[in-house]
Amino acid sequence: MRVLLLDNRDSFTRNLEHLLVAAAGADVTISAHPQAADVAAQRWDLVVISPGPGRPCDHPGYGPWIDGGTPLLGVCLGMQILNEHFGGTTEPLPGCVHGRAEPVEFLGRTLRVARYHSLHAATVGSGLEVLARTRSGIVMALRHTERPLLGFQFHPESFLTEDGGSLVHSALCLLGLR
Amino acid sequence: MAVPLSTAPFASSVCADAARFARVAGCLARRCDADVLLPGGSGPAWSAGWAAFAPTDELEVTAATTPDDLKHFAFDKPGLVLGFLGYGFGLHLRGVRSVGSTRERLGHLRRYAASVRFDPVAGRLEWSADEPALAAEVQRALAQADQRTGPLGPLLQGPTGPVTASLGREAYEAAVAETLAHIRAGDVYQLNLSTLLRMPVPAVDPAALFQHLTRQRPAGFQALYRPPGMAVVSSSPERFLQVRDGRVLTQPIKGTLAFERFAAGLVERLRDSPKEDAELSMIVDLLRNDLSPHCTYGSVKVERHKAWFRVGHLLHLYSDVVGELRPDRDALDLLLDALPGGSVTGCPKSTALELIDALEPHDRGVYCGTVLALRGPRELDSSVAIRTAVWHEDRRELSYGAGSGIVVDSDPAREYLETMAKARPFLQWAKR
Repeated sequence: MRVLLLDNRDSFTRNLEHLLVAAAGADVTISAHPQAADVAAQRWDLVVISPGPGRPCDHPGYGPWIDGGTPLLGVCLGMQILNEHFGGTTEPLPGCVHGRAEPVEFLGRTLRVARYHSLHAATVGSGLEVLARTRSGIVMALRHTERPLLGFQFHPESFLTEDGGSLVHSALCLLGLR
Repeated sequence: MAVPLSTAPFASSVCADAARFARVAGCLARRCDADVLLPGGSGPAWSAGWAAFAPTDELEVTAATTPDDLKHFAFDKPGLVLGFLGYGFGLHLRGVRSVGSTRERLGHLRRYAASVRFDPVAGRLEWSADEPALAAEVQRALAQADQRTGPLGPLLQGPTGPVTASLGREAYEAAVAETLAHIRAGDVYQLNLSTLLRMPVPAVDPAALFQHLTRQRPAGFQALYRPPGMAVVSSSPERFLQVRDGRVLTQPIKGTLAFERFAAGLVERLRDSPKEDAELSMIVDLLRNDLSPHCTYGSVKVERHKAWFRVGHLLHLYSDVVGELRPDRDALDLLLDALPGGSVTGCPKSTALELIDALEPHDRGVYCGTVLALRGPRELDSSVAIRTAVWHEDRRELSYGAGSGIVVDSDPAREYLETMAKARPFLQWAKR
């Protein structure tokens, strides 16, 4: 499986790469900018939008990737970029949660997942459905109801996340890649 | 596997414990201007001690120095290389700003004609020298180390002036508040904010300063390094990167508790604090990331999380993050891509570096860079250059940086006090 990992100058991108290789045997290419022509010209089985600093509007250029038809997973900022693409909004998260794990119910299982975010998906874009929330109602996972597009607010690649490999496997199933 | 120390014509080895090595290194530092790495303390420490003198080659690191230049210097010939790479060289490598704007030295490396290596596990001292006169110096140091030494002479010479801080209490607390606004805006999760203390000092006795610092606060990564015009006197408690037989280890420290009197409950208080836990966890994820580009897939693991140790009046939390170096990579690939160390920048690193550059009025210089020992492409040990005094001959000035990791629930006043607790040895010198 050929995976293109689009990096938003984040410090967890390499962890995500190692997780994708370990959990899915993926062949991962990391690209620093979503508009790089040499990566856009190739065919990919999966596109992943990395976490990163700032708000979705600080990272333009993802539209063609989201609309391009290739299955896509957005992590943290990547999920917020996906959500805003469909008209959802991003707001400050009261208190912020950084470097903490908490149990979240996802696809019928409860797993401890790592959270690193100052912002959250306050309203959900059209055509998207929420797959997981925290106990206090913060969106933790969402997907498009008709297209292979999925977002995780939590960080499957963190060492604080319980069984990150199974979360990658679930993502691939939801995206029709397994 | 032990690598031969050198092919030097004069070499020998003797039994020794850590205290004896410290005395031998002290003699060589005083008599021969030796550069020294001294393991000590109760936490992580240099895997080997070194006292090396009579430099044969030197590399002054500048903005024009490439990773290949460093590799040629370090790896083209066998043998020990000691030195430092400053925080500014890390900024340069990360493309944060033009280094033309700094007057701080970016780094300096050396090779030597004579060296003494202390293996703390085997309890042995091995030495080698290229010439009989150098061998005689080592033998004299071995003999003198068994005699009682007198009290230390003056550390700082001449009339010294008052200590000034690049960020005083008010300015530091204001910068913490600004950092918190960036954290709430999602620009960073954590940022290490420092202040640089400076004191005008006409002259220092680097060897005495080093001995004083190591007696006062025996940290794991003590180092004395004296390139021309400068003395680096480091009492760092923190390992940056180690490579041994292809195995990579980093031991980031985050989570600090300052105390006046040690009590058992303090450790639990530190380990059970959600704030300190989060602070360490973020940096562990960052260091996993920084090991990953040069480690084999699936090899990067957190082996110990939230271990603790005590140094002076501080308790620290740290973790062991390990990996296997890819066969096609060397220790400098790893080190240069990970510099500056994540525990002194914040996360995500590239944004943290830019914000630090804007928030701090000083150049960190040696502080927050790394002091390192290399022996070939796959043998490295290095510290994070914190708790480090630097004497600048041209400015007749002694400087000492101190910082603190700022996270969303940081209290500005408390973070300022933490930096002052870390600067305690320097502030005590100023009073002498």
